Amino acid sequence: MSGQFSDEPMIDVYIFETTQNIEQLEQIILASEKESNFGEAAINEIFRLMHTIKGSSAMMLFNNIATVAHAVEDLFFFLRESKPAQVDCAMLSDLVLSGIDFTKVELAKVKNGDTPDGEATQLMQEIRDFLQLLKQTNFPAAPPPDRTPAPVNQQYYISSDRRTPHLAQNLFKAVIFFEDDCEMENIRAYSIVHNLKEFTSDLHYVPVDIIDNDASVAVIRENGFTILLKTDSDYAEIHKLLNNTAFLKDFELIELADEQEFVTFQTANNLNPMELELKLHEQLAEKVVLNSVPKAPTELKSGVAQSIISVNVDKLDKLMDLVGELVIAEAMVTQNPDLTGLELDNFHKAARQLRKISGELQDMVMSIRMVPLATTFQKMHRILRDMSKRLGKEVTLEIVGEQTEVDKNIIEHISDPLMHLVRNSIDHGIESNQQRLAAGKTAPATITLEATNAGGDVLILVKDNGKGLDQAKILQRAEQHGLLNKPAAEMSDREIYNLIFLPGFSTQEQVTEFSGRGVGMDVVVKNIEAVGGCVLVDSTPGEGTKVTLKIPLTLAIIDGMNIRVGNSRYTLPTTSIKESFRPKPNDIITDPNGNEVIMVRGQCFPVLRLHDLYQVATAMTDFTEGILIMVEQDTSSICLYADELLGQQQVVVKTLPNYIKSLKKITGLSGCTLLGDGSISLILDVGGLLEHVTHQVRS
Amino acid sequence: MTKVLVVDDSAFMRMAIKNILADKDYEIFEAEDGALAVEKFIECAPDIITMDITMPQYNGIDALKQIRTIDGNAKVVMISAMGQEMMVKQALVHGATAFIVKPFKHEQVLQTLAKVAST
Ligand SMILES: [Mg+2]
Repeated sequence: MSGQFSDEPMIDVYIFETTQNIEQLEQIILASEKESNFGEAAINEIFRLMHTIKGSSAMMLFNNIATVAHAVEDLFFFLRESKPAQVDCAMLSDLVLSGIDFTKVELAKVKNGDTPDGEATQLMQEIRDFLQLLKQTNFPAAPPPDRTPAPVNQQYYISSDRRTPHLAQNLFKAVIFFEDDCEMENIRAYSIVHNLKEFTSDLHYVPVDIIDNDASVAVIRENGFTILLKTDSDYAEIHKLLNNTAFLKDFELIELADEQEFVTFQTANNLNPMELELKLHEQLAEKVVLNSVPKAPTELKSGVAQSIISVNVDKLDKLMDLVGELVIAEAMVTQNPDLTGLELDNFHKAARQLRKISGELQDMVMSIRMVPLATTFQKMHRILRDMSKRLGKEVTLEIVGEQTEVDKNIIEHISDPLMHLVRNSIDHGIESNQQRLAAGKTAPATITLEATNAGGDVLILVKDNGKGLDQAKILQRAEQHGLLNKPAAEMSDREIYNLIFLPGFSTQEQVTEFSGRGVGMDVVVKNIEAVGGCVLVDSTPGEGTKVTLKIPLTLAIIDGMNIRVGNSRYTLPTTSIKESFRPKPNDIITDPNGNEVIMVRGQCFPVLRLHDLYQVATAMTDFTEGILIMVEQDTSSICLYADELLGQQQVVVKTLPNYIKSLKKITGLSGCTLLGDGSISLILDVGGLLEHVTHQVRS
Repeated sequence: MTKVLVVDDSAFMRMAIKNILADKDYEIFEAEDGALAVEKFIECAPDIITMDITMPQYNGIDALKQIRTIDGNAKVVMISAMGQEMMVKQALVHGATAFIVKPFKHEQVLQTLAKVAST
C-alpha cells in the first residue's frame, strides 16, 4: 500500500471509519427501500457518507473506492438539488448496495494489507446510466445534462459603491500562476477578484468565465490568470495583497503607463464590458448552495461531546495478558509457602485489599473488550433483503437482545456462522408464499435473532417459523453418506437434527446460490467450536426450526481442569470433559495395530496416552495407576490418560510463544497459562487431539 | 504557538490534518460538526480554523458565517473536495481566508496555514 498516510494508525482509522460509514449507509438504504421512498434526510445523509468515504479514500490514494463513492455522491447530489418526482427506488437501492458491496470487497483487501485494485467500470456505467435516465424521465425538456451553464461575459464589474467618485489613478496588470495540483484554479482566481473588490473600481480578467465554467481551470493552468485593474492603491499594496494568495506559485505585477494598454487589452480579449456587480455572483453562488438554513448553534448541539477513543485490539489483548499475570503474581505473593505458620495480620489485610483491586481491574479490562451484538445482528438485514428478493419469499427479521455484549474477539467469529444460518433458514426452512398460505400461515415468515446472557455464556438463537426439519429426509441422507454411527431407531430427535451439522452432510443437490457455495452447515459448528462454543438444533415439523449457539463471553479466560503428567501440567477446558474414571485392567483392549481402546458402557473409545504423545517421563504408565478423562467434541469422544487431576480453576489463556510455534507444530495445544503456583500449564485443544487420534487409527 | 481548530465530521480527516501539523509549532483543537465548531471557537479562540464543508446538520458554511459574525477577522481555511466549487465560492463570499482541496498534500496544508497565519 502506498500513499502519504501509509502509517498504521491512519489505515486503522480509515478502515474503522469507512466500515462504520458503510454499515450506516446500508441501514439507511434498507430502511428507505422498505418505505419505497428516499426522504430528504436520507438523501442528505447518504450524500454526506459517500462524500466522506470519497474524501478519505482519495487521501489514502485508494482511487477506485473514491471514484465509486464519487459517482454515488453525484447521483445523490442530483436527487438533493433537483428533487426529481419519479425515482425507481428499487433500482436506486440496488445500485447503492452494489457500490457498498464493491467498497466492502476493497476494504477487505486494505485490511489484509493488499492494494485495493478492483475494477468498477460496469457499476460506474450503471450509475451514470441511471442518473441519465433520472434526468430524462423527470426533466425531459431540460438542456443537456451538462451542469455548467453557458459562459456569460461577467468579467467586468464596477464597485457597488459607485457614489464615491473614484479617481482611480493607478493602472495595473497582473498575471498569476497557481501551484500545480492545487485544484479549483478558477475558484482561486475568483478568490483574488473577490479580495480585490475593495480596492478597485474597474477590473477585467481573462479567462472571463471563471464563475460558471470549470473548463476555465485548464486555461488558467496553461496561461495563468490575467487581471487588469484601476485602483487608488499603490503598487506595494496590490503586490502585498496578491502575494498573500494561497497556493500562489508565481505572479507578475506591472504598473501600466496609460489607459491605452487597458483599451488594447480589452479589445484583444474581446471583452464586452457589462455592468455587473459582484452581488450577482453571490446570488448565483447562494442559489446553488442548498444546505439547511443556519440555525443558532445552541439549538443544534448534536448531543454531548463524545469522549470516546478507539483503541487497538492488540493493546487490549496485551492489557488482558498483563492483568492475568498480575492476578497470578498476586496469588503467588499472598499464598506464598514461605508465609505458612506466620502470624501476619497486617499482611493479610493488605493482601485482601490487593486481591480486591486486582479483581476489579480484571473485571474492568474484560468489560472494555465487550461489544454489543447489535452491529452483527443488523448486518443480517442485508442478507435477508437480498435473499427474500431473489427467492420471492416474504421474510421479516426480528431482533431481540441486540445490546447483549460479547468479547470483541468472539464477535468476529460469529458473524459468518450467523449469516450462514440465516441464509439456510430462508433458503430451506421457509416455505414459498403459496405453501405458507396453504398451510394456514401468514405469508410473511419471521426469522428471529435473539441474544441472552446465561451465566458465563451467551445464547444466540436463530429461529424461523418455517416448515421445520424433515427427520426422515435427514436420516435418509445421513445413511446415504454413511454418517450414522448408531441405528436410527435409537436416536433422539435432537441427535437426528444435529446430523445436519456433520461434515459431508450437505450435498450437491442442496447447494443453491445462497446457502451452498460448497459449504455445509458443518462450517457453522467448526467456527463456533473454535471459540469454545457449541451448536444445538431443535425443530417442530410445520412450526419451524431453532438453532442455538452457545458461546463463551470471552476467549481470554476459560474454566479449566488442570491435570498432571509426570512433571508437566496441562489444562483441559471443562466444557469438553464428559467424565473421568480409573479403568479396571480388563477394560482396555489393544487392537491388532497396537491402538488402545476402552469399552465404556458397551461403546469403544480410543485411548490417548498424554505421556506418549508429549514424550513426558512418568512412572505411571499403567492404566490402573493414573486416570482416564473422556473428552468430547463434534459428538466424537476419546479418553485421555494422565497421572492425576489437580483441580478446576479459571485460567487466563495465553498464546504459545512464537518461538515455540515456529520450531515445530505441536499437536493438540491451543495455548498456555500460568498456574497459581507459578508453573506453566499447556492448554489442550480437544479438537486437535481428536484429529490426531483419527489420523493415527487410519494409518 | 499557533492555535488551530480542526473541524471535520470524519475522524480520519481530522487525524490526517493533525498528523500533518504534528511536531510543528501548532496547538490543535478539534470539533466534529459546525455547532461544536462555533462553541470551540468561542472557548479556545484559535488563530486559524480548518473547516470541512459537508457535515451533518450544521455544515461548514453555516459555521463559517456564525464564526465570522462573532469575529469579523477570524481566519477560516475551507477544506473542500472536487465538485464543491460553488460551496467554496459561497465560503469566500462569506469571508473564508483560503481553501484547500482534498486530497491534499502535506506541504499544501503547511504552506497554506503558514501563509494564513502570517497575514
Ligand atoms: Mg465531511
